[in-house]
Amino acid sequence: MATHQQTQPPSDFPAPADDNSQIPEATKPANEVQQATIAQETVKQDPPTSVFKNSEPIREDQIQNAIKFLSHPRVRGSPVIHRRSFLERKGLTKEEIDEAFRRVPDPPPSSQTTVTSQDGQQAVSTVPPQAMQPVVAAPAPLVVTPQAAFLSRFRWYHAILAVGVLAASGAGTAVFIKKSLIPRFKSWVQRIMLEEETDPLKKADAKPSLAEEAVAAAKAASAAASDVARVSQEMMITKNEERKYFEDLTRLLGVQVQEMKSLSNNIRRLEGQPNNIPKIYSADQEVYNGSVTAARKLYTNGSNVDYDTRSARSASPPAPPADSSVPPHPKSYMDIMSMIQRGEKPSNIREINDMPPNPNQPLSDPRIAPKSKPWDYGQAPQDESSNGHWWQQKNPRSTDFGYETTTAARFTGNQNETSTVEPAAFQRQRSWVPPQPPPVAMAEAAEAIRRPKPRAKIDQEAAASDDQSGVSDELQKITKFSESGGDGGSGGIKITEIEEETEQQHISQEGN
Amino acid sequence: MPVFKAPFNGYSVKFSPFYESRLAVATAQNFGILGNGRIHVLELAPGAPGVTESVAYDTADAVYDVCWSESHDSVLIAAIGDGSVKIYDTALPPPSNPIRSFQEHAREVQSVDYNPTRRDSFLTSSWDDTVKLWAMDRPASVRTFKEHAYCVYQAVWNPKHGDVFASASGDCTVRIWDVREPGSTMIIPGHEFEILSCDWNKYDDCILATSSVDKTVKVWDVRSYRVPLAVLNGHGYAVRKVKFSPHRRSLIASCSYDMTVCLWDYMVEDALVGRYDHHTEFAVGIDMSVLVEGLMASTGWDELVYVWQQGMDPRAS
Repeated sequence: MATHQQTQPPSDFPAPADDNSQIPEATKPANEVQQATIAQETVKQDPPTSVFKNSEPIREDQIQNAIKFLSHPRVRGSPVIHRRSFLERKGLTKEEIDEAFRRVPDPPPSSQTTVTSQDGQQAVSTVPPQAMQPVVAAPAPLVVTPQAAFLSRFRWYHAILAVGVLAASGAGTAVFIKKSLIPRFKSWVQRIMLEEETDPLKKADAKPSLAEEAVAAAKAASAAASDVARVSQEMMITKNEERKYFEDLTRLLGVQVQEMKSLSNNIRRLEGQPNNIPKIYSADQEVYNGSVTAARKLYTNGSNVDYDTRSARSASPPAPPADSSVPPHPKSYMDIMSMIQRGEKPSNIREINDMPPNPNQPLSDPRIAPKSKPWDYGQAPQDESSNGHWWQQKNPRSTDFGYETTTAARFTGNQNETSTVEPAAFQRQRSWVPPQPPPVAMAEAAEAIRRPKPRAKIDQEAAASDDQSGVSDELQKITKFSESGGDGGSGGIKITEIEEETEQQHISQEGN
Repeated sequence: MPVFKAPFNGYSVKFSPFYESRLAVATAQNFGILGNGRIHVLELAPGAPGVTESVAYDTADAVYDVCWSESHDSVLIAAIGDGSVKIYDTALPPPSNPIRSFQEHAREVQSVDYNPTRRDSFLTSSWDDTVKLWAMDRPASVRTFKEHAYCVYQAVWNPKHGDVFASASGDCTVRIWDVREPGSTMIIPGHEFEILSCDWNKYDDCILATSSVDKTVKVWDVRSYRVPLAVLNGHGYAVRKVKFSPHRRSLIASCSYDMTVCLWDYMVEDALVGRYDHHTEFAVGIDMSVLVEGLMASTGWDELVYVWQQGMDPRAS
């Protein structure tokens, strides 16, 4: 099967590329398929050890669905990339999609095959060996594939025949020219020789025959040349026709695109003015009269007073026609869009040269070594100067979204002044700790959580461990959110193991 | 809380992985439809105004995304609307910048992400349906990943596995890739509509969040990817960006065209744990600082960049 995969798809993919628009795409899917086949091979040959690889078995029912889809006449006319994308969106894996493509026969419109079967007869001898491969692999009807193969091969044969004709005519002209040149040359030599001998009779005899031969050769040459010219002209004509069709297609597409653009603009304009409600409930847009500013105030207040729709929506799953629920774009955005569609350029654009003045400029040496991330356990980033700027602290004063945080258990000897000030605010406060994670082993932290002993170690380490118990509590208390992330920023690293445990418990509780 | 007003519409904001007080902002003129772009490097400072611009770079076309290098503290990479990828070095004087410009993508480059484990390469994803892998020292891309059928809105490295990344595309799928493999290793048809963003869980390398035009954020486990772990509803419009917290395993931040930034805890029954509605236009960029727990930044089409601590009101002064 592995070798089959390699040889088949490239021959299959040019096959559906009957339409002009698909010829340029033949290279793209061929590349993709080659990549996919290589990937398939690597996946099938290597045991899927990585979790990032798909290790599901191929589902036959999905493949059957895909085959039905791919066999649909309208689908056949679409580019291959669209067909693949559709199947991917339906949840098929790469392997399943490739298998479906492999199984679906080459385009088998019966009418075309009857017309071309006569011409295809000549190609029978060479086609069957190639056609046998798809036939063997596919459970599809055997009759269809050879005929389809004929049809597909026929195109190539057209080209091959033309090339052959050209070559033959070229060879013919060459031969004829040789035939005529050599005798002419000989005669010329003879003439020179005979001139000295002054034998007019011989010349006279030789000339007519030579002349006749020359004339015949010239006629043949001209005939061959005219043949060549005719064939090439025909090819040019077909090429031109194809190009014309293609241009017509693109023009039509362009027209359609423009129409769609104008439509969407109209829609946007319509909703941009009176209506700022999402179009889920879009039936009568003019009904909803709100000005843009009113809508903005609504959003900034975050209140759902006036519009039931919004509150209803947040509680229920989103109604999917997101295509129609276009968010209200700012008015100036619409102005600019319409300006651009009219072909005007906004006046505030400057000419800027943003090319590098020295493309080989070396990077300056780094001044700081890369810092480890909070999620790399066991590593402590460098100690920064912790000046206690506002952005380095968790803020003791908070507009509380409020996780109800735990009580004094969270707080360690590391509290700063502000947090000691308001005992009532203890619940919501976090102790201030410097941003660096403590260089503490995990085991200690785990210990500290399981046994809520007072922090004997009055330092950052203790802060981390205590905060972790707070995290587990938080996870159980649902709604509120407090101002910081559940641990002294330093403790982030150490949380992982503990969190895993608590979360697993949590998950099992939730019946996830 | 500091607020920065940019001249152009904001598109993306990223904290520096080296300096706690530094962040970069990608902006585009005229909403990114047509016009110039600008990259701002901002510094947080105590006292008013709270944030100042230390340097800005102008570009001919919109800047849709920016990211910091993980190997060089002064280097940042920008994704430009004309298909180019530009590298800037803030340690060099502004006239020497950019130091590189790679023109390979055929269409707008939508995202750029630096490899946090290997620290030597980065990914760009583009509207030309491809993802490209680059190394800092090479003049051309190392690989091009072309499988998506539509724009690839984001490509994100896995925080634990330096060879694995995920890409979110308008063809409604998320693909998992391994740079050692020739093609994608997994295809997750995550949503019925375009998937605008994805991000990996920093503490569980098999968990991935995706956000889509269908207004939801879904959380997936790649080991059983047919059914999401969680579906987070609450946004009113398409969710533009989603980001897993670098400090908390189950905390997700998202920003949406409904102008809000939301915080979710996907392991909890009522997942929405915070909502910020400070923006007055589409909120399109969001980041959570790796160095300072709880520090968040967001930007939107209202040309504002907010930096705040979770739990605080971003507009509080």
